[in-house]
Amino acid sequence: MNDCPNADIRDQLPDLLHDRLDMSMRAAVMAHVDACVDCRAELELLRSVHGMLVSRTPRVDIEYIVGALPKARSQPARVVARRPMWSDWRIAAAVTVLAVGGGSLAVLRQGATPSVVDTSLVAPMAVQPDAGAPGSSTGATAPPAGSTSVARIATTVGGSGAGEQGVADLPTTARLADLNERQLRALLDEIDALQAVPITEPEPVTIRLDGKATSPEGA
Amino acid sequence: MNKPVRGGGSDDQRDLDLIARWKAGDERAATELVERHAAALARFAVSSGERNEVDELVQDTFVRAFNSLDGFRGDSSFRTWLFTIERRLLLDRRRADKRRRDRTELQESDSATEYDALDSVVADETQRRLQEAVARLSPTQREVFALRVAEGLSYKEIAEAVGTTEGAARVHYHNAMRAVKEFLDE
Repeated sequence: MNDCPNADIRDQLPDLLHDRLDMSMRAAVMAHVDACVDCRAELELLRSVHGMLVSRTPRVDIEYIVGALPKARSQPARVVARRPMWSDWRIAAAVTVLAVGGGSLAVLRQGATPSVVDTSLVAPMAVQPDAGAPGSSTGATAPPAGSTSVARIATTVGGSGAGEQGVADLPTTARLADLNERQLRALLDEIDALQAVPITEPEPVTIRLDGKATSPEGA
Repeated sequence: MNKPVRGGGSDDQRDLDLIARWKAGDERAATELVERHAAALARFAVSSGERNEVDELVQDTFVRAFNSLDGFRGDSSFRTWLFTIERRLLLDRRRADKRRRDRTELQESDSATEYDALDSVVADETQRRLQEAVARLSPTQREVFALRVAEGLSYKEIAEAVGTTEGAARVHYHNAMRAVKEFLDE
């Protein structure tokens, strides 16, 4: 018995035997087998071997086999404890309230806080009571009640620009009552010379002229 | 090259359906699965040289398969998976029976003699010659040859069942076929 040189066709003879070829391939293999003595002989041999193997196989006892099989493990669907629907809605509402409230709070806090605080500008703007306020360690030098440090006012209004020169001759401890006519005029001129629109966004200024109330010397 | 139709496509799906039914508690699905594959497993056992207790071997194969069905991923067909399990059981048996010679695993050197003694009921001379030719194959050749000829498995499926490569399965088949022809031509 010879081997056909067409190994591809020979490879498919068992598939032809078991009808596992698609129609086109089956037709091609059949055409070859019809014309090839060796392949016809091999196909016949395959049929014989197949028949022999089938005939030699003892009949198996299906019931005997099934009887030994493990019982089906019926796996009931897992019951997942489901929260009531209203509970879900309450959670969603709580999350929404927290999100909105938190966002609002963040916005409010951001608006109340100066975004940029330039201490070089803010510090001179704040006209505070003199260092003789109650509780101050330097109370001995506190100015009399009802007086405001002219130097601080001058510093405030002339913190920048030409104002510094106009009031430069003022004594650092001068009070409004101590200024003469010329000095008062110079101070007013400096005030008038201030720019109408500040260069920077005005910061809240706390001017407390309540020295009378806070001064230990009283009126 | 080889373009077999995956004729088992619907069969494979049927197996998967039956497995799902069995897992859901349908005992009849197990019976149908056994009916569909028991004969093929028995053929493979006999072709591989097993003669005694074929029922037990097939039964053990199914028991092991059903006990580990959760591990069956469907990468191969259910039948190929069964062949794989059965082959492992066969190897285990052969190891356990190594000292006992009451099995019909025929050694290549004395296969003809043992075969004649064990299979005296075979009347047909052609069939007897065929059986002898197959019995003379090496164990691996015999497994591949049986799965290819008796079951019509593709080389890919054979490779999965036997634990080899597709190319090696093809070589084993052609070597087996050549050996059978040569024996019959003697």
